[in-house]
Amino acid sequence: MMRKLANIVLLLVAVSLCYGLQLSKPHHGDLIGPIPARGKLGDTVVGRGFEIRAEKVEFARKLKADRFGDSKVLTTGGIWAVVTVEFAARAQSTTVAVASWRGPTGLTYDQTERLSFTDGLLPVAIDPGLPKKARLIFELRPDEASDAVVLVSEKLMSALDSQAEIWLGPVAIGPDGLPPGTVDTLDMTQPI
Amino acid sequence: MTAQIVDRESATSERKWRRRSLWSLVLLIPLSLAIESYDSVKALLGDSDLFPRRVAWGESARFGGSDWKLTDLRGAFGMSNLPPDSVPVLADFKVKIGDPDLQNRWLGCKVMLIDKDGRRWSPTSIVSLKATDNVQTCISAIFSGAKSGDTLNLRETFLVPKEATKSVRPAVGLASERPHFLLFQLEKD
Repeated sequence: MMRKLANIVLLLVAVSLCYGLQLSKPHHGDLIGPIPARGKLGDTVVGRGFEIRAEKVEFARKLKADRFGDSKVLTTGGIWAVVTVEFAARAQSTTVAVASWRGPTGLTYDQTERLSFTDGLLPVAIDPGLPKKARLIFELRPDEASDAVVLVSEKLMSALDSQAEIWLGPVAIGPDGLPPGTVDTLDMTQPI
Repeated sequence: MTAQIVDRESATSERKWRRRSLWSLVLLIPLSLAIESYDSVKALLGDSDLFPRRVAWGESARFGGSDWKLTDLRGAFGMSNLPPDSVPVLADFKVKIGDPDLQNRWLGCKVMLIDKDGRRWSPTSIVSLKATDNVQTCISAIFSGAKSGDTLNLRETFLVPKEATKSVRPAVGLASERPHFLLFQLEKD
């Protein structure tokens, strides 16, 4: 009788162990996904092929940009977030092409394509020993501005390659629903 | 009695085979790993410039069916509108075409500069210097329709930090020759 009971207990333990293993098994997408290199605003985040340091984040209601010599003002239903970064290549020349903004609720915004002709936007070609500044520009909902993470990688499918994850920290939201530092217009024609 | 002998014999042969099977694993596991990873290793080797073949200054080397020779490597100092502490570097090659099938033999052509620490620079698009009409880049030469016996002048422009200009050496990689690549030495080497 005791032996039967012990067997049943052993079976239950084995079943729960297997179930636990199944639950904790990483998803296939996580196993072959990008490898995060984490840091915060101002840190130099070092990936396999490139280094990145986010210098500042600015918010604006409108952006001023040049298009074929014409000055254009871009409005938005949300806000513009402009992250100024400095890149450096590590062992060889490379190109950094992809950035996105992950808000506190997990909503993720790709960098905007509305300013495609402006200088200093991705993709940027970088060489070893020659740091280069760039702007990452996102159009997002104001409530996604605080505690955001900017994700930067060389290619869109950065499987098993590093992806910089830069935490931008908390941003207070003012009574008008916007971050307090939000300016009316940011001039993207100015050099970085 | 007979049954016992048979039992004992089968037990010994079973033990023998068990041991053989275990030992064969020592061979089979590495073998299966090798077969399994063969394609990946082949792709990795075919995609990277790993083993340099040094070419002395003034000499030419057979590579991708043609004879490659470095004719000049110089910095273009004093240009404006460049990032601080950077220098454009021009690498000039003379290539005597042997096998004219450049679209296959020169596929994935990559000219680069390598410094003493192993850092690699690809050609830049920031600097564009005027060149005479008969100067081409490696990629444009692929589609130039050059015939066997022709000599092509190739030039690539790089942007490197000032501190690296002394130690950079030009290198050429082609898909048909990878993982080997040519590493050209300078006169002073």
